[in-house]
Amino acid sequence: MVPARPSLVMMALLGSAASGCAAELPTEASARGEVLFKNCVQCHGDSGEGSTLMNAPAIAGLPQWYVEAQVTHFQTGWRGAHADDVEGLKMRPMSRTLKSAADVSLVSAHVSKLAVNRGEASLVGDVAKGQSAYATCSVCHGADGTGNEAMKAPPLRQLNDWYIVAQLRKFKTGVRAYEPADASGATMKAMAGAVPDEAAMRDLAAYIHTLPL
Amino acid sequence: MLEHYMQQGSSYASQIDGLVWMVLLMTGFWFFLVQGALFYLLWRYRARPGHKAVYLDDAAEHAFEVKWIEIPHRVILICDVAVIIGAITVWSDIKLSAPKHDEVIRVVAQQWAWTFTHAGPDGELDTADDIVAIDEMHLQVGKTYSYELGAKDVLHAFSVPVFRLKQDAIPGRVITGWFKPTLVGEFDVQCAEICGIGHGIMPARLYVETPEAHAAWLANPTHYLAYKF
Repeated sequence: MVPARPSLVMMALLGSAASGCAAELPTEASARGEVLFKNCVQCHGDSGEGSTLMNAPAIAGLPQWYVEAQVTHFQTGWRGAHADDVEGLKMRPMSRTLKSAADVSLVSAHVSKLAVNRGEASLVGDVAKGQSAYATCSVCHGADGTGNEAMKAPPLRQLNDWYIVAQLRKFKTGVRAYEPADASGATMKAMAGAVPDEAAMRDLAAYIHTLPL
Repeated sequence: MLEHYMQQGSSYASQIDGLVWMVLLMTGFWFFLVQGALFYLLWRYRARPGHKAVYLDDAAEHAFEVKWIEIPHRVILICDVAVIIGAITVWSDIKLSAPKHDEVIRVVAQQWAWTFTHAGPDGELDTADDIVAIDEMHLQVGKTYSYELGAKDVLHAFSVPVFRLKQDAIPGRVITGWFKPTLVGEFDVQCAEICGIGHGIMPARLYVETPEAHAAWLANPTHYLAYKF
């Protein structure tokens, strides 16, 4: 008969591993960022490719400064604290699992190093109309959609098209950039207000999705 | 004694605690009595040098059962009836009837946040001066509130330990209930139903305020909690 003791030891080990009791966060910067990122993969995917099922956008390859800024905004309540922002309210508590500015930087650095993956086009829009309307956006976000850190304008070309529409809608309705102190958000809110309707948002997203990576 | 571990912050908290005590004392009494009898008999009739262990024979067994099982069983049934009467009384007072409310507050749960819609200075919900706050609920001590509880996505449970209140929130339904805060202070609100990976980080704060402090908040409300590392 197989003695019971080894299996009990194994169960105890598995139990402690599953509960995370045995795991200490590494102190080496890149390894720590990678471990911290494991909290993000439940929604944003193993490679930061995003998930339409979770309404979580692709974040892979976004610049570190932008990820840092957005995580900090979620933490402080500048973003994701509006009652109608269902997805933002999910991100808000998750951002608060990062317990220091250093950890925010480390996980942002890790995200910025992931390979860009914006997924397949998921909506239909008039690319020509979108290209025409994009002239306004290009002032800050660049003609090639690569963004401009000096203007706090993130790259757009790697974003999911459905996410672009969702964010334009949120900016336009004040669900995002509701905080008066959020100057860059206020700028974007004003610009989104100039997009006349949902069709125009889809046109823009369809065009941005054609920008080369 | 429970209030030493968790303050009683609502008008019905003491009733809930009383029921918990009643069940605890009755089950505790029987637990120790039965376990005491079991271990005493095991020890008293154990096998030892020169003595065999004593077992009942078939003839004695029936009389033994009547004495040691059937009589206690009937007494326990009487205890059950007492618990049921106590539970129904508390249920009736808290769940089947509600005092006239002074104000309505809307509570909406979602992954992983609480949205509290306060009636605002006019005391009426769904008017222009409603105050919507994320993860913070502001109440005036001594006022009776009716709540409308909903959920946007999955099952949640609205748990306010200091009120002794725990109520499931179900998508597609609006569940009503009431509470009357009796203790000024800052307390926890929790989700008490596993609702996804962020369930454990879905707390909110309850502020029970004096009339003056509540009026000050109404005049200058916060809409979301500040966060610091």
